[in-house]
Amino acid sequence: MKLPSLFSRLIAMLALLVAMMSFAPAVFAQNGAALAQSGQTVSASPAVGPGVVAEQRDKLDRYGATADQYQTQMRANAHNDSALVDVRGGLEELSRDLIASGVAFRPRLNTINTRLDEIGPPRGEDEPPEPPALTAERQTLIDEKAEINALIGRAESLSLRVNGMIEEINQTRRDLFTNTLSRRYDISSALNGEVLGDLAAETRRLSAAVSSWMRFVLNFKLQAVLLATFYALVAAGILMIGGRRLFGNLFDADPAIENPSYLSRLSVAFWSTLLPSAALGVFLAGTYFFYNYYGVLRYDIAQLMVTLFNVIAIVFFVYRLARAVFAPRLPNWRLLPMQTGAARALFWVSLLAAIVTGADFFASKINEVMQSPLSLTVAKSLLATVIVGLLVIVFGLVRPYVNEDGTSRGWNSYFKALILLLGAGTILAAFLGYIGLARFISQQVVITGAILSTMYIGYLSAGAISEIGGFMNTSFGRRLDRKYHFDETTEDQIGLLLSVVINVLVLAVGIPLILLQWGFQWGDIRLWTYNIANEIRIGSISISLIGILTGFLLFLLGYLGTRGFQRWLDGKVMARGKVDAGVRNSIKTAVGYAGIALAALVGISAAGIDLSNLALVAGALSLGIGFGLQNIVNNFVSGLILLAERPFKVGDWIVAGGISGTVKKISVRATEIETFQRQSVILPNSELINAAVGNWTHRNRLGRVDIAVGVAYQSDPRQVQQILLEIIRAQPQAMKNPEPMVVFIGFGASSLDFEVRAFLSDVTTQVGFMNEVRFQIFERFREEGIEIPFPQQDVYIKEMPKVAVEQALPPAPAEAAKPAKRSTPQVRRKAAPE
Amino acid sequence: MPMKNMLIMTVLAGALVAPTAAFSATVTNRDGSAHTLVVSEGGSQVEVSIGAGETIEICPQGCFVTMPNGDREVLTGPETLEIEGGRGKIL
Repeated sequence: MKLPSLFSRLIAMLALLVAMMSFAPAVFAQNGAALAQSGQTVSASPAVGPGVVAEQRDKLDRYGATADQYQTQMRANAHNDSALVDVRGGLEELSRDLIASGVAFRPRLNTINTRLDEIGPPRGEDEPPEPPALTAERQTLIDEKAEINALIGRAESLSLRVNGMIEEINQTRRDLFTNTLSRRYDISSALNGEVLGDLAAETRRLSAAVSSWMRFVLNFKLQAVLLATFYALVAAGILMIGGRRLFGNLFDADPAIENPSYLSRLSVAFWSTLLPSAALGVFLAGTYFFYNYYGVLRYDIAQLMVTLFNVIAIVFFVYRLARAVFAPRLPNWRLLPMQTGAARALFWVSLLAAIVTGADFFASKINEVMQSPLSLTVAKSLLATVIVGLLVIVFGLVRPYVNEDGTSRGWNSYFKALILLLGAGTILAAFLGYIGLARFISQQVVITGAILSTMYIGYLSAGAISEIGGFMNTSFGRRLDRKYHFDETTEDQIGLLLSVVINVLVLAVGIPLILLQWGFQWGDIRLWTYNIANEIRIGSISISLIGILTGFLLFLLGYLGTRGFQRWLDGKVMARGKVDAGVRNSIKTAVGYAGIALAALVGISAAGIDLSNLALVAGALSLGIGFGLQNIVNNFVSGLILLAERPFKVGDWIVAGGISGTVKKISVRATEIETFQRQSVILPNSELINAAVGNWTHRNRLGRVDIAVGVAYQSDPRQVQQILLEIIRAQPQAMKNPEPMVVFIGFGASSLDFEVRAFLSDVTTQVGFMNEVRFQIFERFREEGIEIPFPQQDVYIKEMPKVAVEQALPPAPAEAAKPAKRSTPQVRRKAAPE
Repeated sequence: MPMKNMLIMTVLAGALVAPTAAFSATVTNRDGSAHTLVVSEGGSQVEVSIGAGETIEICPQGCFVTMPNGDREVLTGPETLEIEGGRGKIL
């Protein structure tokens, strides 16, 4: 059960950084072992019987002895940080063992309690006496329980002591760290001639130790060494070859490509740094593991080897990273637009700084193992830190960029100031005698710098992905596009999401690594993360990020599930079952709302928000909300009624509130209607419930159309009716039953008015039908000579006295009409022209 | 291709961030009066009082608990503990 998670974590750690190679798996292996062990103790404890007491008593005795041992070790190693870390690991395991040991009593305690309940309390004076066997059993059980309680009490106080020691170690380590940084050495002792003598002596000691070990290996363990190296090589080879197969072309920079995209440059930089480093790390870890396994290593050699391997891994990582970022040989593949000369310089400076720091680190270990005089340690660290400081200053002074006019330009001034300050600080600290501080700075410059630049690459690639079209340009984006045919917006959103994910990852991986570098412990970081993720307290409210995230994810899952269920129900079940479209729509909508409400409830509960609290608030506010949201609630309830009652369904032609159109969508608050002019009208549901709604297509699409026709008073009405009947009966769309009819409906102002009435099986086709019928009527009337009248106006002009006209106006014929217009014309309506 | 990297990184991060079982023990007092529990967790021992009918959460990492009647129990985290008549019962 633990295996997959352990495995995935191991893989994760592998990817984290090669620097952590030797450290991380050890921690995990430790934790894993402890977990497995405690699990065993709980499940496999055979003792429901009294044997458990004796068994656990022995264990507790052993634990007590172990705790004493650790305490001695802790006191002895008060100045040795790595030993303290080891002791702390052991203590933590002990603490877990103690808990497990306490848990082991649980089944027995339960049995005892149950049996005591069965036996009952001792009987009183006036009751009949109980059998003596029962009294004896009760007493035995009570005694056993008391003993168990005492044992758990012992475990408890031991646990308190162990945890107290853990806290003490933490405190000691903090002090140790501060002391290392603030301790001042006398560097004058390191600068005299004796140091050279010490150096020679130490070299002799070291070579003696190494060569004696080599002789031992050559004589007795040669086979084992070869085998171990072979195994380690195989493991690294598998990783390397597998990685190459998996990541193929994004691994190597292809010098033939003229202008590689920013993303491909980033990915080459990332993978060509990570994979070889990981492979080397696996090789080194594997070598060490197998050497250890075959008993090849001696204690001093083992210590030196671990340090050497760590140094090699880190230097190699920095080398690959610097090569990827500065690309001294391939200007096309450089991540930053730099001059070739500057890029080469920066590459060498970074590599040299890494080598010098690594060498210093390794040399310190040699000093420690060989117990060399302090002056030698100081001299060596002085030299190394000064060199690193100088390299850092050089790094800051390089002018990598080119201006448009061809002159070179330096770093961003803040960055440059920071770099120069670090370099100068290192040198100054070293010369003032603060060797510890100087070493700390120079190591951090190399390692934290490497981590930060990797993080920066990740950050940049996130930015490149999130740009418009950035994701589309990746081959994965193209493949997705070919498969699913995303539109541009979707791809853009995916790109944006990815960039967020990458940024989060960069922080989630990078920050713990940096913290680890600065002397924090993996356990601390995990605990902080755990606390931050699970409980952020603000006053009396505690917020759990994990809880909120889980709630959100559950809601999303519920939402998607509802959508899927809806689609399945609608498309597969109800469509097949020939369910009426309106019912289908209602059910679909109702299922959708129910699903979302359910998902929201589940999400809220998972987020840790107590629903009963919510109910209290809702109860208090419901009155206010009821008034405030009266309209919304009204519409909402109306929407539910619409779904249940179904006065109309999607696709119906309705007339409501002066709007006539097709129903497009019935939502819970409002209904969307599209008029025939294609205008979408959103009508609140309450209007559809409270007012009359006309529905042309409620039960069926049958409907009557009326066509008004007027003929002249001279026409024969019977003949007209006959003609109209012939025309309408000849229409294939007009239904035979109910029969179409022609009604003489009135004597109009200028016409005899008829109405042609016909029933259509689909009333929505009426426009075309009426159009056709009108054409036919007009053509037929023309053939038959039946006139369709229209209102006319005849204008009569009165005769005016000729003199008056001539006086008033110059004799122009065009003006003759003017006076006539001034007088009121006599208008007469006529039914027909003469 | 970087997508693939992203995916792999996502998986890695998922494995890394994947929450380690995050539970704490739930204690409910079924009695009509308040009780006091002695809880030793980590390096400290504290007294936790739990009112009548109240439910509280204690010790996410495993702890030793002394019940009102003097019985001792060890909790590892996800248990539910009920106190009835001063006696603790792990469900």
